[in-house]
Amino acid sequence: MADPTDSRETGRHEVPAPAVSAQPSLLTALLADPQDPGYVEAAQRRAGQSPGERPGRIMTIGWTLAGLVVVGLLFGVAVQNTEANAPSADSARRGLVADIDRAQGRAVDLEGSANALASQVRDRQAELGVAEPPASESVQAVAAGTVAVTGPGLTVTIDNPSGENNDVILDRDIQLLVNGLWSAGAEAVAVGGVRLQPTSAIRKAGGAILVDNRPVFWPITIDAIGNPATLPADFAGTSGYGRFASFVSLYSITFDVAAADVLTLPAATEPVLRYARTLESEETATAPPSRSAPPTG
Amino acid sequence: MYAALALVVGIVAGVFLAPTVPDWLAPYLPIAVVAALDAVFGGLRAKLDAVFDAKVFVVSFVANVLVAAFIVFLGDQLGVGSQLSTAVVVVLGIRIFGNAAAIRRHIFKA
Repeated sequence: MADPTDSRETGRHEVPAPAVSAQPSLLTALLADPQDPGYVEAAQRRAGQSPGERPGRIMTIGWTLAGLVVVGLLFGVAVQNTEANAPSADSARRGLVADIDRAQGRAVDLEGSANALASQVRDRQAELGVAEPPASESVQAVAAGTVAVTGPGLTVTIDNPSGENNDVILDRDIQLLVNGLWSAGAEAVAVGGVRLQPTSAIRKAGGAILVDNRPVFWPITIDAIGNPATLPADFAGTSGYGRFASFVSLYSITFDVAAADVLTLPAATEPVLRYARTLESEETATAPPSRSAPPTG
Repeated sequence: MYAALALVVGIVAGVFLAPTVPDWLAPYLPIAVVAALDAVFGGLRAKLDAVFDAKVFVVSFVANVLVAAFIVFLGDQLGVGSQLSTAVVVVLGIRIFGNAAAIRRHIFKA
């Protein structure tokens, strides 16, 4: 590297000319780690000046302190900015969770009031004799799931195995189990506290089971009201029971079937019927044949 | 010493005054912080090497911050913002590590 001609050098033979006037290359900086050339040049310049030419000590200290205060200010602003931004994502999430809880609570309240109003309507109808309830309407209501019921039956408890591969039970399996209960003679079934209606769906979304779009949590309790003498035996013969029994030995799931003397199942929300309309008839409606009631007329 | 005190005063002032950073400036704040760190470590090493100069320190700090921010801004306009920002951070980080290593040698050996 050629020495650059430097006017400061004139007459100052004890000061060597600056060897580098540019930043060292990246590799040099990595391997040799030389001093910052700016400071080196300044030091050499100061060494060459007489004491009168150098800036005063107070000036030096003043500039240094001012620079450090500005650097500190920058650090402080950056720190404070980062802290201010961090909770915003967390608080947004918490706000959303609170919204979800509020909406779910409101949905439960509305369901309760809808059921209460429906039962009031039925009472008024009965009082006024407006629509003579057909003999088997209560049976129809039970079958449709719109009234709470109580009676003897079965309780089935299912749960995924603990540990890593614990997503074993699918919605198909639970559907098969419930269909087995119906075919074994159950008159009312509730899955995870949600009463099944003719339009009910059991779905799996992500890791959660949704019954009528309401989440139910593991372990899931399936209650079925039916003939205590025949229901357990008939249920044990269904393919759903067999599948879950094999799951117990294959995947170590939990599958417990217990008879219960008294089960109380809640009413389901009356479904919103968009396309089905009741047939208007002048005469008192005759009950359509239902499985459990004797045919009328 | 007074230098550390001045730095702490600045940090405390920044945290408590809590000036709101304008949105257009916010992406350049991290780059400015890294450039400032490089200037501080360079100054500290120069001090230990007995070649410290106040003017060089202030000018290097201001120039580092402005140049780094400008490079990132230019990269944003050209569509290579993240790559150039990575490059700036890598180079400044190398310098910071070099200066920190020199400081360590001063403190623990010389």
